[in-house]
Amino acid sequence: MGNWERLVWNQRHLLLDGLVVTVEICLIAFAAAILGGLVLCLVRLYVRPLRQVAIALIEFFRATPIFVQLLWVNYVWPELFGWPGSFFTAGWVALALQSSGYLAETFRAGIEAVPRGQREAGLSAGMSHPLVFRRIVLPQVLLMVAPSLVNQFTVIVKSSTLVSVITVQDLMFQSQKIVNTWLDPIEILTATAAIYILVVFAVSALGKALADLLRRRYGLAAS
Amino acid sequence: MSSIPAISVVDVHKSFGPLAVLKGVSFDVPRGSVVSMIGASGSGKSTLLRCINHLETPSAGEIYIDGEPMHFRVAGDGQRKPRPIAEINRLRRDLGMVFQQFNLWPHMTVLGNVVEAPRRVRGLKRSEAGELALECLRRVHLLDKAGEYPARLSGGQQQRVAIARALAMQPKAMLFDEATSSLDPELTDEVLAVMRDLARDGTTMIVVTHEMRFAREVSDRVLFLHNGLIEEAGAPEEVFGAPKSERCRQFLSKYLPKYVQ
Amino acid sequence: MSAALAEALNPAVFWEYRAILLKGLAFNFYVFACAAAAALILGLGAALLRVNRWRALRWAGTLHVEIFRNAPDYVMVVWIHFVLPLLLGLAIGRRLEFPPFLSAVIALGLVYSGYFAETFRAGIQSIPLGQIEAGRACGMPERLILWRVILPQVVRRMLPEAVNQFVSLFKATTIVSLIAVPDLMYQVSMVTQQEMRPLPLYTGAALTYFAIVFLAASLVRAAAERWRQKVYA
Ligand SMILES: Nc1ncnc2c1ncn2[C@@H]1O[C@H](COP(=O)(O)OP(=O)(O)OP(=O)(O)O)[C@@H](O)[C@H]1O
Ligand SMILES: [Mg+2]
Repeated sequence: MGNWERLVWNQRHLLLDGLVVTVEICLIAFAAAILGGLVLCLVRLYVRPLRQVAIALIEFFRATPIFVQLLWVNYVWPELFGWPGSFFTAGWVALALQSSGYLAETFRAGIEAVPRGQREAGLSAGMSHPLVFRRIVLPQVLLMVAPSLVNQFTVIVKSSTLVSVITVQDLMFQSQKIVNTWLDPIEILTATAAIYILVVFAVSALGKALADLLRRRYGLAAS
Repeated sequence: MSSIPAISVVDVHKSFGPLAVLKGVSFDVPRGSVVSMIGASGSGKSTLLRCINHLETPSAGEIYIDGEPMHFRVAGDGQRKPRPIAEINRLRRDLGMVFQQFNLWPHMTVLGNVVEAPRRVRGLKRSEAGELALECLRRVHLLDKAGEYPARLSGGQQQRVAIARALAMQPKAMLFDEATSSLDPELTDEVLAVMRDLARDGTTMIVVTHEMRFAREVSDRVLFLHNGLIEEAGAPEEVFGAPKSERCRQFLSKYLPKYVQ
Repeated sequence: MSAALAEALNPAVFWEYRAILLKGLAFNFYVFACAAAAALILGLGAALLRVNRWRALRWAGTLHVEIFRNAPDYVMVVWIHFVLPLLLGLAIGRRLEFPPFLSAVIALGLVYSGYFAETFRAGIQSIPLGQIEAGRACGMPERLILWRVILPQVVRRMLPEAVNQFVSLFKATTIVSLIAVPDLMYQVSMVTQQEMRPLPLYTGAALTYFAIVFLAASLVRAAAERWRQKVYA
């Protein structure tokens, strides 16, 4: 059909640019979320004086809608902290906040699932606490939570569509720009929806395969 | 009238894909009698019982409940037509089934389990169904557990509830599929005692069991199933006392060594 | 920074516009209630398709789940609001437009029906076959078995997961402001444009949603757990 060619195929460079931005912002947000989640989780478990603060932050990040967080980070943070300085940064920070709250809880469940005896075995072999954590606990936890991490990544991809609202030029943004230019939303929005669905589908299929693999190879139950 | 058997199984075949499990089984269960079915694991006992109340559809043959064909009906033009599921459900009400795994509904109380079918299937009023259910629970000696959830009962108690649930349909016959096989020996006896009472009260029953002493004691007739066929049939004294078939003798020797010469 | 912090936490503007903001919040609850009902019904339907005897119907159920579970909710809201009416309009040969509220409910209902379908399906498949056969042996028709034996247990089993999905759905209702459903976020941006004071308004919105979601989720989780334990030994 002519419309598909004119509105989708001929616009493929715009869409591709958008897709690249989407992938970028999702990956950055994902990395930041893993880091943030790990820090929140460790503080919650091992840093007594800050425990309540960590819990409060985790609950706040988890219970606040991502769209609200996004606007909050975008409009309020620069005044409060003088940062972030760009829409792109505000976008990934908001995405990372939301996911770090969930991942902190995932990590905690993983850490608590490592049998105490293994830690004691390491300690009695003369390993220090940090060494035991780094060499014995963490590798197992990462394996155990890997499927949940992939799952959280799909959440990030889905939520990332909202950064178009603060004018980050991701796939959703480009697609709506095309709509506003040609005033004919059917094909382009359908194509955009299909792209997102396929991407998310592929990522979650990957997560399922990973979970199966881990279950078979290490006998780990996906958390 | 009284000559019509409660259940009549005529040349029933059943295959699962290429696997022929029943290869032409026929027998009658006269009203008020107890028929026991014994045989090795995999010989097709459960399959036969499940065919009788249509949990499996026989590949060929027919089962008559009180003279009425269960699976097919003869249409006006003389042709056999498969019965619609609604009619099969109606005929199923005349058969109470007790499973090896009890299969109680865990979200309902004991009374709820027993009341369910009389109320929703037979459409009795709440009070009538309740009275009937309590009467059935009395027969299995579990009146005091009416308000409990199944998870709080012992296995033997659960199986007696399952029997009460089947009785509450006021069926023409009861089918027992290894009702005591998943129970500890102490619990087996309380269930067998209930079944013995039922037999004494004149309940028509088909009992699949590995409890040979029980089978010998309560049965009017014993069938030995082997490889999807009835290999030996007769009064319990005959089958247990002097089995004609070599296979039956071998089978029994595992359970009742003293019966082997 | 401390001046900015004081401004961000200053509840005066929020209080001044409380009437209109509350009205906005009510819209979040309307959308939530309608979309939740739609999602439960559609989700149950899709789950029943997925455990159906017929392969074609199983396929249809799977397709429904995979499409809607993997669709970002914002994309779905936009598609339903701007594309679906046009497609339907083409089909009936007349221009068609959905009111934003309707689009929001359809889109969120569809997306969350994908999640609920999976929860329902897992619940249905966890019921031992023997319990269903016991129902058949009592002469219960399949529909009665579904309502009396299967679903009551499924509901109890899926409760914790369903609570999480309801929480997500409520949070997702904030995006309907983007198609001009006048919810709390919509009103907040309106007031922000008037007052030019984003700090207290957006901070207030974030805290409001947090308080609602956190309290409601804790309460519902506790109640659900008590109900489950009362029934299951
Ligand atoms: N639904 C089914 N699909 C395929 N094969 C089946 C099915 N049900 C039963 N079979 C097979 O039919 C054969 C007879 O099974 P059945 O359960 O009737 O034996 P049984 O005499 O009751 O044995 P047991 O004493 O172990 O209960 C077995 O080989 C079994 O594997
Ligand atoms: Mg069997």
